[in-house]
Amino acid sequence: MMPARIAVLRWAWRLFRREWRRQALVLALLAVAVAATVFGLGAAGSALPSGAAQFGDADYLMVLRGAGMQGDVATVRQAFPASEVINHQNIAVPGSANPVDLRDQAPGAALGAPMLRLTAGRYPAGSAEIAVTDRTATLFHLAVGNAWQQGGRRWSVVGIVENPNNLLDTFALAAPGQIGSPDHVTVLVRATAAQFRAAQRPATAEVQFRGDAGPDPAFIVLILATIGLLFVGLLAAAGFAVLAQRRLRALGMLAAIGARHRHLRLVMLANGAVVGTVAAIVGGITGLAAWLLLTPRLETVVQHRINRFDLPWLQILLAAALAVVAAVVAAWWPARAAARVPVVAALSARPPQPRPVHRFAVLGALLLAAGLILLAQSNPERPALVVGGVAGTAAGMLLLAPLLVAVLATVARAFPVAARIALRDLGRYRARSGAALAAISMATGIAAAIIVGAGAAQAAAPSGGNLPDDELIVWVAPSRIEGPVPQLDASQLAQARSAVSAIAGTIHGGTPLPLIAGISPGARLESLNDSGLSGKPVVAFAIPHRSGGSTEYHGDEMIPLLLATPDILGRYGITAGSIDPAADVLTSHTDLSRYRLIGADRQGESWQPRTQHIGQLPANTSEPTTLLTEHGMRALGLTPAPVGWLIATTKPLTPAQVDKAQQAARASGLDLAVETRPLAADLSRLRTGAAAIGAAVALGVLAVTVGLIRAEAGRDLRTLAANGAARGTRRRLTAATTLALALLGAVLGTAGAYAALIAWYHQDLHSLARVPVEHLSGLIIGLPLVAAAAAWLLAGREPTGVARSPLE
Amino acid sequence: MAISLYTQYYPGHDTCWVDAVSVRHALLALLAEGPKYGLQLREEFVERTGEVWPLNVGQVYTTLQRLERDGLVESDDAAEPGPQKGFRITDGGALELSGWLRTPPDLSLPPRDELVIKVLVAVRLPDVDVHEVIQVHRRYLVELMQQWTRLKEDEAGADLGLSLAVDAELFRLDSVIRWLDTADGRIRRATVDPPDPAPAAAGPLPKMRRRVGGRR
Amino acid sequence: MSVLEMRDVGKAYGQGMGKVIALAGVDLSVEAGTMVAVMGPSGSGKSTLLTIAGSLESPTSGEVLIDDVSLSGMSRDDLARLRRRSIGYVFQDFNLLPGLTAAENVSLPLELDGVRARVARQHGLEALDLLGLADRAGHFPDQLSGGERQRVAIARAVVGERRLLLADEPTGALDSATGEAVMRLILAACKRGVAAVVVTHDAQLASWADRVVFLRDGRVIDRTMPPPGPESLLEADR
Repeated sequence: MMPARIAVLRWAWRLFRREWRRQALVLALLAVAVAATVFGLGAAGSALPSGAAQFGDADYLMVLRGAGMQGDVATVRQAFPASEVINHQNIAVPGSANPVDLRDQAPGAALGAPMLRLTAGRYPAGSAEIAVTDRTATLFHLAVGNAWQQGGRRWSVVGIVENPNNLLDTFALAAPGQIGSPDHVTVLVRATAAQFRAAQRPATAEVQFRGDAGPDPAFIVLILATIGLLFVGLLAAAGFAVLAQRRLRALGMLAAIGARHRHLRLVMLANGAVVGTVAAIVGGITGLAAWLLLTPRLETVVQHRINRFDLPWLQILLAAALAVVAAVVAAWWPARAAARVPVVAALSARPPQPRPVHRFAVLGALLLAAGLILLAQSNPERPALVVGGVAGTAAGMLLLAPLLVAVLATVARAFPVAARIALRDLGRYRARSGAALAAISMATGIAAAIIVGAGAAQAAAPSGGNLPDDELIVWVAPSRIEGPVPQLDASQLAQARSAVSAIAGTIHGGTPLPLIAGISPGARLESLNDSGLSGKPVVAFAIPHRSGGSTEYHGDEMIPLLLATPDILGRYGITAGSIDPAADVLTSHTDLSRYRLIGADRQGESWQPRTQHIGQLPANTSEPTTLLTEHGMRALGLTPAPVGWLIATTKPLTPAQVDKAQQAARASGLDLAVETRPLAADLSRLRTGAAAIGAAVALGVLAVTVGLIRAEAGRDLRTLAANGAARGTRRRLTAATTLALALLGAVLGTAGAYAALIAWYHQDLHSLARVPVEHLSGLIIGLPLVAAAAAWLLAGREPTGVARSPLE
Repeated sequence: MAISLYTQYYPGHDTCWVDAVSVRHALLALLAEGPKYGLQLREEFVERTGEVWPLNVGQVYTTLQRLERDGLVESDDAAEPGPQKGFRITDGGALELSGWLRTPPDLSLPPRDELVIKVLVAVRLPDVDVHEVIQVHRRYLVELMQQWTRLKEDEAGADLGLSLAVDAELFRLDSVIRWLDTADGRIRRATVDPPDPAPAAAGPLPKMRRRVGGRR
Repeated sequence: MSVLEMRDVGKAYGQGMGKVIALAGVDLSVEAGTMVAVMGPSGSGKSTLLTIAGSLESPTSGEVLIDDVSLSGMSRDDLARLRRRSIGYVFQDFNLLPGLTAAENVSLPLELDGVRARVARQHGLEALDLLGLADRAGHFPDQLSGGERQRVAIARAVVGERRLLLADEPTGALDSATGEAVMRLILAACKRGVAAVVVTHDAQLASWADRVVFLRDGRVIDRTMPPPGPESLLEADR
């Protein structure tokens, strides 16, 4: 049957030539999917901060503090001979309560090597040399070759260094063993969990385990690869589903004249394979090129160095291969469908009676539920559950899409005629609109998952600071309330207030909330620092530690005792009526029994305050967790003294804002110090980037699918034109199609992403409490509007040959 | 009334059309509905044929007598011959009627058509544009059809018999126009692409045979 | 007064060697209340004549006037408005929008013209009722028979205050009885003052018209005489 085969192949070639524009659109769609997947895999593998920033190549990190530090170090060294010891000393930064860390670390050490990288000059050697990070250099106006008078020593700056895994790590590097009196010591240990448990270690050591530092990038890559592969397959299906209607008729015609289905299938398979292969190659190259070009930008966003050639090649190859397979299957489908559809129905080009929507919907809901349950059950040790969960959630959403499309068609009645036609057409050709919708929701869903997930990851990450990331406190003294607080006179107070409101202005914060502490009348003026400032200690709670014959209080265990002013109570929504009139202390701490009052006079140390627990008060240690009521104030006979101002912002603070705030604090001429949470990579930019890329991909998918759908409805345009539809109607028609698909897709995608994330974080739901409204509304409202506007603009062109009846 | 005018102006048609449709069988058909008087038969006949075909009473009685003679109808013997005499169909008559309805009329012999002859002649004459000749006839025929259609349009739905008769005429005229269209096209193709003056021995027929043979 | 007037209209597609002349020097005038049939074999330019008359295409030469207003100076939006308000189309197929119900298809031109949806729907229902399709108003084209679809198309072509009805083989896919019903509807529209142009190769269809224009190779080669009364049948036969 060679001649028959040749005839069918010739027909296939004709078909391709006639349809090449549409084929090109499908090809573009697939290429976009492959490119996005390649880029996404690259980004996923390296975007998340790895534990190497803190741990290097070690598994455990021990922090040793206090007087017995050196003895503890010896104990650890004995238990783990291969461990690495790093001494740390705080360098105070003018205008900031966050010090710069001076550390002595060997650059080539076995465990700590990934934490250091030289960008200029050389590493320090000997007692007088030092290297600094860019940010340190900026803070202290240093450059290579400068001399730096710091902490009573004279350093010579010989190099610029960075922590390649955390570019925001602000430190200075001395040669090993050059820090005589460290504030604390960290020890890097490489050991298995069993080894670590078996070894003897000092009781006071704080231990951190690398596994707690965050999810393994390889795990994220696995999830992303699953999603990406689904995405590619879905888009191939969507693209070819749109073509299928036209195919169906051509195939029906061939079947009517006696072509064999085997031949038809052969043609379709060849067509799909060609489109899929070209798309995989073009998309793969585009994705790689985009990755290589955008890596430097991505580095500034995620704030760590990225090895741009360290890509998950296996998954990338899989994605490309899947693009080919999906295209082949999706192209073959119409031939299979044509074999089943009665020839007459195929010829009449009536869409086959859609199968009942509810059956799909039930299956979809079941799959979605199963996927979510799997996600809820999964953890990084059981990747199969995650893959199954993600696939189930996505497949469930895909099957629910036709239900939404059918709903669209039923509400169409209420709309003006152009929108009505658009919606009914979507409902009529449910196979293609459902596939298109699923593809669009997948694109937006990925973007939404990154946006929401990045926030949740940030919120779930160990705090590492005394403040939330959207608050800032301007303290009157650099030592906060742990040391004496200067007594400000009226003019100094006014000066401080203006500086504080200037700071609030630079960070777009709310009204500064004054923090007022109490000072015992008998307190003596103490020297504050070398520069001759002096102040009085304020009352605070602290835990007493017996050390030898004396009692010690640790600064990081101190709870500032602030006056319960109406401002503070109002800020946290505490009504006067809810306060026990006899209470002395209001607190969010559950147990204050270990604490003692310090800074008051002798009788105060044995003061037994009446405490009321108030849940609304914040929990971060620098915030006003514990308040002293008027009643308590009188009982202790304290005088009020301003100690600082709390400024809250709507968004997490950026390094630039913190720098500006510190400059403003320094410029005030007082000893004001700004405290913030230690800087972390600014994930809001990552979110914006993800939202932008997700939106761009979704827009691309939308453009192609809407283009395909409207191109297929070309004959309707002739009828519309004959009935006097002008350019506006065409525009509204296309815009309505776009808007409906985009809006539904965005809502479905976001809902799916949230459902998956809720399942993922179900034990830690407060991580999801902060909804990134701005980004999500951009996705749900902005994206459809932009897409519809673009469709409106682009649909104005009069299609050629509107007067001619279309040849099929 | 247009119809009466029309029938008046068509005396020439009467005999030939009525003969053609066979009064004999028409009367049998009327009697198949039940016994009827002679006068009643005439009225019903005229009414049912849309008054296109008038029939005189004498013709009715002559035919009825012949039918009675052939044993196809029976009359009330008691009554006097005249308008009050009743007739009914016999079983033989019913059989005859049924057989006649199912016998196709003789359509195998082509009528000697003047128009066909005119076109054939026009093709041969060198100074005559045959297409123009065809168009003249086509226009005439269309105009004729317009008039027939108007008749149908004016009496829309009122008279089934008339409509059927007009349809018959329209289809007849239409078939002539179609023949003209086909002839027009055929002549046009023939002048653009004249056939071989001496067709070769291997004409279209053997060629077709070869193709059939190749499929075995 | 002529509703449609075509003056020396010509239309050519393509250029140079591939140039095809679809129409040349066509003059046609259609008065209110009359039906003109355009007859001709396939490829004679019938459909082109209709699309030009309906402002879907512009002629390469000559002039088209609708209600004595020339189309040549109009913008595309003006032409679209003209089609919404004055011109009704009936094609052989591809007539109805599959996504709209019968009633919605009929009220489409009104809705496109900004008539409130409810009012337009009322008009649509009235037009359908006139064509005996009131019980089909909520059906989609898929659910209608061929004749019903064409009747819906005619309802749409005459809904509102349309002045000109253009039909391209309106009975093409229908049997002759259904086709006749369709022609009666068009004729009824003419009786109400609509001017109609019916393009066809079918003489029976053309015979419904007041005048018949014969088209061949893009030129008008003949026309029937002014409409004779039925009486002339008899004279002709004499």
